[in-house]
Amino acid sequence: MSTKKFNIKVNGKSYNVEVEEIGGVASAPVASAPTPSAPTGGGAGGITAPMPGNIIEVNVSVGDTVAAGDTVLILEAMKMKNNITAPSGGTVQSINVKAGDTVATGEVLVSIG
Amino acid sequence: MPNNTADNSTNTHTDKSPLDRLFQLQTKYMKGGSDASIQKQHDKGKLTARERLLLLFDENTFVELDMFVRTRSTNFDIHKSLPHSESVVTGYGLVHGRLVYAYSQDFTIVGGSLGEMHAKKITKVMDNAHKMGAPLVGINDSGGARIQEGIDALNGYGEIFYRNTKSSGVIPQITAIMGPCAGGAVYSPALTDFIFMVENSSQMFITGPQVIKSVTGEDVSAENLGGASTHNARSGVAHFSAPNDETCIAQIKQLISYLPSNYGETPPSYQANDDANRNVDQLNTVIPQDANTPYNVLHIINSIMDNGSFLEIQAQFAQNIIIGFGRLNGSTIGIVANQPQVLAGCLDIDASDKAARFVRFCDAFSIPILTIVDVPGFLPGTNQEFNGIIRHGAKLLYAYSEATTPKVQLVTRKAYGGSYLAMSPKSLGGDICLAWPTAEIAVMGASGAANIIFRKEIANATNKDETRTNLIDNYETEFNTPYKAAERGLIDDVIEPATTRVRLIDAFNMLHTKNETAVDKKHGNIPL
Repeated sequence: MSTKKFNIKVNGKSYNVEVEEIGGVASAPVASAPTPSAPTGGGAGGITAPMPGNIIEVNVSVGDTVAAGDTVLILEAMKMKNNITAPSGGTVQSINVKAGDTVATGEVLVSIG
Repeated sequence: MPNNTADNSTNTHTDKSPLDRLFQLQTKYMKGGSDASIQKQHDKGKLTARERLLLLFDENTFVELDMFVRTRSTNFDIHKSLPHSESVVTGYGLVHGRLVYAYSQDFTIVGGSLGEMHAKKITKVMDNAHKMGAPLVGINDSGGARIQEGIDALNGYGEIFYRNTKSSGVIPQITAIMGPCAGGAVYSPALTDFIFMVENSSQMFITGPQVIKSVTGEDVSAENLGGASTHNARSGVAHFSAPNDETCIAQIKQLISYLPSNYGETPPSYQANDDANRNVDQLNTVIPQDANTPYNVLHIINSIMDNGSFLEIQAQFAQNIIIGFGRLNGSTIGIVANQPQVLAGCLDIDASDKAARFVRFCDAFSIPILTIVDVPGFLPGTNQEFNGIIRHGAKLLYAYSEATTPKVQLVTRKAYGGSYLAMSPKSLGGDICLAWPTAEIAVMGASGAANIIFRKEIANATNKDETRTNLIDNYETEFNTPYKAAERGLIDDVIEPATTRVRLIDAFNMLHTKNETAVDKKHGNIPL
């Protein structure tokens, strides 16, 4: 963070002060709606592919406990490593894909119960 | 404050005095429905029509109109079962010190049903809002048309829709759904600019669960069919969602703070709470080294805007594009930004619709637009093509081309092909186009381009993979940069990311006097 120098006058008397910004500049939006993870569609607990692509990483195993928003796998599509996240928390019931697989839109990738 | 409440204990008039009669009627009409129905409304966690209006307006500023209006229908003795005033409260007042008109349907009186005179109360405030150039807020909580009033009720809806359309682009129109809103009633909200919904107490649908069950056999609850979550996340009908009436009204007031009162006004400007000369050093490193790694564009938006001023709209719908209002040096800016961490930031049908409508709202009300670009392309797939991505994507091109409000573009990373052209480029009338050094403004990604241009060289090479990799690298270095676009003047300047806030404030300051007259015609034919 940058330090800025100021000259301030109080009752005619000059003071040199240095002001340093210490807080982060990024701030949370005020009262905006919560941002849930991307809608994944599919049946209850089923995480589906939002677009066609290649699975490059599976981060969970059957029996793992996941929380909403956890990245369960990475789908490479449109030259982007897209994090596919759990829409809700639960236990991983089944994993239908492995790294290297090509998947189509709507294909169920992981089931969470 | 004309809302005198009758306090009979302190007045000295007889029961027959004119003043007494006035006080009696005021007391009776201001109460709304029966004690039981008011209790029922509160038990559902809902406020009454007047409680909502009192929350909306600045203290002691609400002026009620038409308190004495009653139904004039005698069909099926409806007038006998309606001993109260009409089931809607209307009037005007101040929101953050500015004139706003509002109507609020009263569910405690015959279920807030809409009859002829109910509609007339609403159309009166709509006409006044239009004439005075003040925003209109409609609070919906109604069982629908008052069947007993037949065609008069139906006509009432038509009169409302007509005015919604005539006022579109003249004054901001905001609707809150705070109860049922079914059948034809949904179309007034749909014709307005922003729809707010309250979770678990509001529903919107054309045909309800019972009709759907009898016609198609589908079993669906009212909440799943048309609740706040459905319309915010899935259908895109609604723009905001709130856990209760109080939060919903606070959100409406926050939104109004960004909007001009009518199309002839400039958006409100506030004393900035943030340094206009603030550099944002973290932006120099916000783009990941690996071009295939996503990042959250909200971090960029929040760090550029005045401290905490970004208000996201439709945050749950088509999350691959972000829209919302923020402030730069105290003034309202509309923001459209690709979100690389959802669907790789691709444009698709929903994202195009969402952004195009927002751009048109901003243009209608002279709100300057900042477009932040990191888009790899339109989303491929039969689903997109079969559902008309061509005509939906065209809306975005149309909206940007048509807009005469100041347009500033900032390219942070990818800007490929047709999707780049849909994101406020110089060629569609972009006033100031800036790029970060990480920008890749090109006809397509490097590997795709190199595979086509150097097909023969790759095919004839002894080591095909190595040749391909080298050619892709060369192409990327040469063409996937901001400099080819800057050489042609399609990018006005390549800037250090840390200076983005300062440069944007300067650009919008410079554009303050922009005066571009739209082409004279009746109206264009946007590809709907």
